[in-house]
Amino acid sequence: MKLKVYPILIKLLFWLLIVLPVVAGLGYALSYSLGLTGLLSKGFTLEYWQKALTTQSLWASFLYSLSIGIISVFISLCFAVSMALSWNKSIQQGRLSYFIFLPLCFPATVMAFVVLQWLSPSGWFSRIAFELGFINSLNAFPNLVRDFYGFGIIVCSVLLITPFFTILMSNIYKNENLLHLENLSKTLGASTAKTLKRVTLPILFQKSKMTLLLFVIFVMGSYEVPLILGRQYPQMVSVAIVQKIQKFNLNDIPLGFAMSVLYVILVVLVLMVLGKPSRKYLKPHFK
Amino acid sequence: MMSKVLKYIYVLAVVFPLVFLLGLSLAQQWQFPEILPQQWTFQHWGKSLFQEGDILKSLFLSLGLSLTLASLVSVLAFFISKFIAYSKYRQIYMRLTLVPYILSPVVLAVIFQYYFTLANLSGNFIGVLIAQLFFALPFGIVIFNNFWNNKLKSIEQLSFTLGASSRQSLLKVIIPLSKPAIVLCFFQSFLVSWFEYGLTQFIGLGKVKTLTVMVFNFINEANLFYAALACVLLVLPPIVLLYMNKKVLILAR
Repeated sequence: MKLKVYPILIKLLFWLLIVLPVVAGLGYALSYSLGLTGLLSKGFTLEYWQKALTTQSLWASFLYSLSIGIISVFISLCFAVSMALSWNKSIQQGRLSYFIFLPLCFPATVMAFVVLQWLSPSGWFSRIAFELGFINSLNAFPNLVRDFYGFGIIVCSVLLITPFFTILMSNIYKNENLLHLENLSKTLGASTAKTLKRVTLPILFQKSKMTLLLFVIFVMGSYEVPLILGRQYPQMVSVAIVQKIQKFNLNDIPLGFAMSVLYVILVVLVLMVLGKPSRKYLKPHFK
Repeated sequence: MMSKVLKYIYVLAVVFPLVFLLGLSLAQQWQFPEILPQQWTFQHWGKSLFQEGDILKSLFLSLGLSLTLASLVSVLAFFISKFIAYSKYRQIYMRLTLVPYILSPVVLAVIFQYYFTLANLSGNFIGVLIAQLFFALPFGIVIFNNFWNNKLKSIEQLSFTLGASSRQSLLKVIIPLSKPAIVLCFFQSFLVSWFEYGLTQFIGLGKVKTLTVMVFNFINEANLFYAALACVLLVLPPIVLLYMNKKVLILAR
């Protein structure tokens, strides 16, 4: 194929397969939310947007999703940094590297199912607690899934993200020659704690901040995990959008589309403001 | 010593979910408060894979969908990413590419659905394939983006200088050099499709029963043993890929 002869075809493919679907989809969602199309369309109106922006459940969904995203990423980051710093050599090569990668084989659906089977009131941990005498009935086990605070969703997200962050941190540690910098810092008189606080952690954070932000967005937009482990209120944003659009109440559909447009605007704004993520450190350097 | 103990604990913790799922798929009765199932059986495996074959059908459907998507994405992403990489508007193209890449697939499905219904593409294999393509192609382009560089461009130009045609240069120089990136893109696109649920369910209307859709159906029916069986089948191909090459798993999440 003479690539130079077909730049127009390639450009056309790009616009057709990448840009057009999103623009057309957003256009439809926007026109639906403005009352210009849809089953109950009565012409242009800002009623649904007003309703969407003043409805507590919408902001609750966004804030809830954001909180779950930030907490999950923070906890994963703590585990990942600890593992990457303690086991750096084993992660880069050796058998442990396979076990670090193993959780990446689990789709979100499977991990959510496993967490449900572990943490639900009739789950495996509840059975162990019963056998050990900590609880005397199934109902005495605390609500760890489908709970108000999204504990199950956070546990599942942490299990899914931590291996990825561990590999990411381990790669940054290696590529930035952090071991050398740490030794230098200690030679100059810094303690281990000070070296960690002033040298290692700032570099790791600086180099990974865009990826961390992207993961907050990914967790915010996750669907399968909150569908299995979440509850009706508060809801994660993806679940809330889908439920509004699939509900039998036709008045909720424009609200759902308004929410989806808001979500897209939010994500695009973050992308435009903070720029392109570097994928340099996502490339592992395993032997 | 402490580090070694922690490593063993970590390995156990990582392997345990797999053992747990396998055990659950072989269980027949597991009443509270029993820690281990009271009865074990191979019946679920035999029934779902050989007698009724519904999970086996889903397995082949998922494999067909993921392999077709991975092939399409690898070819399209190869040419489009090359065009983007050497364009003077590279930054703009890449930012546009990243928009569908970072959006939630189910939100994409929500905003696409009207057009899929209009084009009669809802609830069938082709519709789900196209919807997944809209989501996975940007992903493929992002993978290839770092691959195209000045060195590769110089090698391509050198081949032209030495008298190769565009076709010869592509087939004899660029594609052989791109093999690792193409393989990486293929496997990762495969996994994106393999792991996908929201978009498949929404555009497929539940009629395109991939393994992830089956897992959800079994969970909704409270059929734990079959859900666990489908989960084991979902996890197996990525584990095979992990054994073949660790790198391919990284970006698919």
